[in-house]
Amino acid sequence: MARRYDSRTTIFSPEGRLYQIEYAMEAISHAGTVIGVLATDGVVLAAEKKVTGKLLDLSSSKEGGYGGSGEKIFLLNANVIGGVAGLTADANSLVNYARTAAQRHLLSYNEDIPVELLAQRLCDLKQGYTQFGGLRPFGVSLLYAGYDPHYQFQLYHSDPSGNYSGWKATCIGANIGTAQSLLKQEYKDDITVKEAISLVLKTMSKTMDSPTLGSEKLEFAVLMLDPKTKQPRAKIYKPAEIDALLLAEGLMKKDEDTEMKGV
Amino acid sequence: MEVSFALTGKDYVIVAADTTAARSIVKMKTDQDKIKILSPHLLMAYSGEPGDTLQFAEYVERNIRLYQIRNLYALSPSAAASWIRRSLAESLRSRNSYAVNLLVGGFDTTTQEPHLYWIDYLGTMTEIPFGAHGYGSYFALSLLDRYHDPDASLEEGLATLKRCIDEVSKRLVVSPDRYKVKVVDKDGVREVEL
Amino acid sequence: MNTLAEQFSTTSALSKLKKTQALLEDEEMSDAMWGSQAGFGNVAQGSPSFAVPAVPDPSAFLRLHTDDRADPNCKIKIQHGTTTLAFRYQGGVIVAVDSRATAGSYVASGTVKKVIEINPYLLGTMAGGAADCQYWETYLGMHCRLHELRNRERISVSAASKYLSNLVYSYKGMGLSMGTMICGWDKTGPAIFYVDSDGTRLKGDLFSVGSGSTFAYGVLDQGYHWDMTDEDAQELGRRSIYAAGHRDAFSGNTCNLYHVKEDGWRFIGNYDLSKLHYDGPNNVPGAGYGYDIRIAGRASALQPAVAAAA
Repeated sequence: MARRYDSRTTIFSPEGRLYQIEYAMEAISHAGTVIGVLATDGVVLAAEKKVTGKLLDLSSSKEGGYGGSGEKIFLLNANVIGGVAGLTADANSLVNYARTAAQRHLLSYNEDIPVELLAQRLCDLKQGYTQFGGLRPFGVSLLYAGYDPHYQFQLYHSDPSGNYSGWKATCIGANIGTAQSLLKQEYKDDITVKEAISLVLKTMSKTMDSPTLGSEKLEFAVLMLDPKTKQPRAKIYKPAEIDALLLAEGLMKKDEDTEMKGV
Repeated sequence: MEVSFALTGKDYVIVAADTTAARSIVKMKTDQDKIKILSPHLLMAYSGEPGDTLQFAEYVERNIRLYQIRNLYALSPSAAASWIRRSLAESLRSRNSYAVNLLVGGFDTTTQEPHLYWIDYLGTMTEIPFGAHGYGSYFALSLLDRYHDPDASLEEGLATLKRCIDEVSKRLVVSPDRYKVKVVDKDGVREVEL
Repeated sequence: MNTLAEQFSTTSALSKLKKTQALLEDEEMSDAMWGSQAGFGNVAQGSPSFAVPAVPDPSAFLRLHTDDRADPNCKIKIQHGTTTLAFRYQGGVIVAVDSRATAGSYVASGTVKKVIEINPYLLGTMAGGAADCQYWETYLGMHCRLHELRNRERISVSAASKYLSNLVYSYKGMGLSMGTMICGWDKTGPAIFYVDSDGTRLKGDLFSVGSGSTFAYGVLDQGYHWDMTDEDAQELGRRSIYAAGHRDAFSGNTCNLYHVKEDGWRFIGNYDLSKLHYDGPNNVPGAGYGYDIRIAGRASALQPAVAAAA
């Protein structure tokens, strides 16, 4: 029965469902987990990388690069970082769109795009693919961690249907049930970035399939205010910094540690 | 002979414009309001080519309102002024351009600072402590260089504005006789009588 | 409008790619897409488009054929001289105009109707290009009627004048020449809006337009006050047009007078300005508006008798 309504994204099933959208969300629930936590003085984002292996050439991402190691966490604008879960190719397209939208806002208004407005821009695009036929929707969920003068630090989530919502702490990708209940237990309203980093890493270590936690499997970023300029500044951690952080938090597995040094 | 002035002071911006609508040598109207209230904390005085002025001012007014409806908060004065400047610059490069000179004054509620922008019909924009458009600027700019005080209270600011208006009345051949004066500060916009 | 729908309406891979790229590049999504108009395609197009003469430069073309000062044999003669006036007072609106049409120094007609009866509640006056005023104000009448049919109530004077003002503004710089007053009565009472081809639109109590307007203002401003009677108001309108017709070479012949009240406009009369000069509106010899007539028997000399004796 369902078959008849699968092929076109824009046709409702008799139960009033859009199967292609649901399939897209299903695809995301197998992707690497991304966790975001909103703190009083910043936002923290962590992502699980799925594409790993000894033969993978990481030389280009070793230094972190301009937009991070480039698989799951991206700098979307000076004031917003995005974490993606889902089809990487689709995500790249959306990241490009987001960066363009942010620059267009800068061109028009001479200010950083407000975080919610950036989320809206992407959701407008995503929604379009649920209504106009012929193509499939984007198989991507995003977390947006950002700052603007209107609402200070913010964390948003958007899904393939074009829905978006604001959160204090949330996650997307695989095992989100476990992660979410952990976050709900541990989160408190006056959490600082320092505490949020611990919370995110702790949650991540309990959520990830593999028992190891190391820079080859993790991306990490924090958005805070620059103490001097009071402007938002994103820090996307380089692999070595991630390992150092894990070590400090006591989450680094000893054997992995040695392996990392070997790479 | 349109005249408009604006100046900042301690946590406020004053915007003033004459109220005459003239066609050739005839005053068609003497109580025309040429200062639009764009949002709860934003004012814009406009002058220039008849027709273009109001059409452009209404276009700006509605777009800024639309932004506010869509996003539930108003644009900051700097963002609004940047958008207005860009609209004007884009129109300048189209088949029909708006020949409009503007003074945009607002109070930024996120930083608690007053801001004033001077924009001309070519799309030049600059942030200024005080400014003027029209023949009035030839008299008022030197006067404001001498008397403007960024720290002045509203009463002192209005007194300085009065000096500008009096000087124009005294020296300009065909000077306007009435002005509309509006103030924007942390409490929003309001009209004041001189 | 429907770029997104169009983009997906073709299935060839190449065109799809091309269009997707176009979307990613140019979009600040045409806003209507996401609003209530989405999906209605070209039925709900934003702003109305308009026709322009099929020549490379409409305004240069128009100048070439209308500038009678440079070329007295030009194809189109624009009517330049005029006096029109309208004012609002306690008893409604008075509209008064002259009836002369000139082409250069030649009086082309002395019986022009410069008040355009848009509908029973709306009048428009004509100054500038006669054809422009006649055509667009008739066109305005059509839209006022459509407004009535669609909304089951008469259009306000404000809305009607705004429609005209937006319309002429869209032709700005292409040679339209109009200076008109849209007068009428609506829910708000009597109303006058001045609209011209620059795109200016002004609400007011008292306006005069045309080459004779300064002369008309001279009489009108001095005689005007809100509480005047209907008779006084009509007399003031007539007298102001007479004054302009007398002093302005491009205005004259006759005066058409209209009075707008709650139940719509009424034509009061057509007055020959020469007769007004000598005999006034009621055809009484010696009761004319003319200066010589008015001051007959009076002089500034201190003692006329002494002067005569000497």
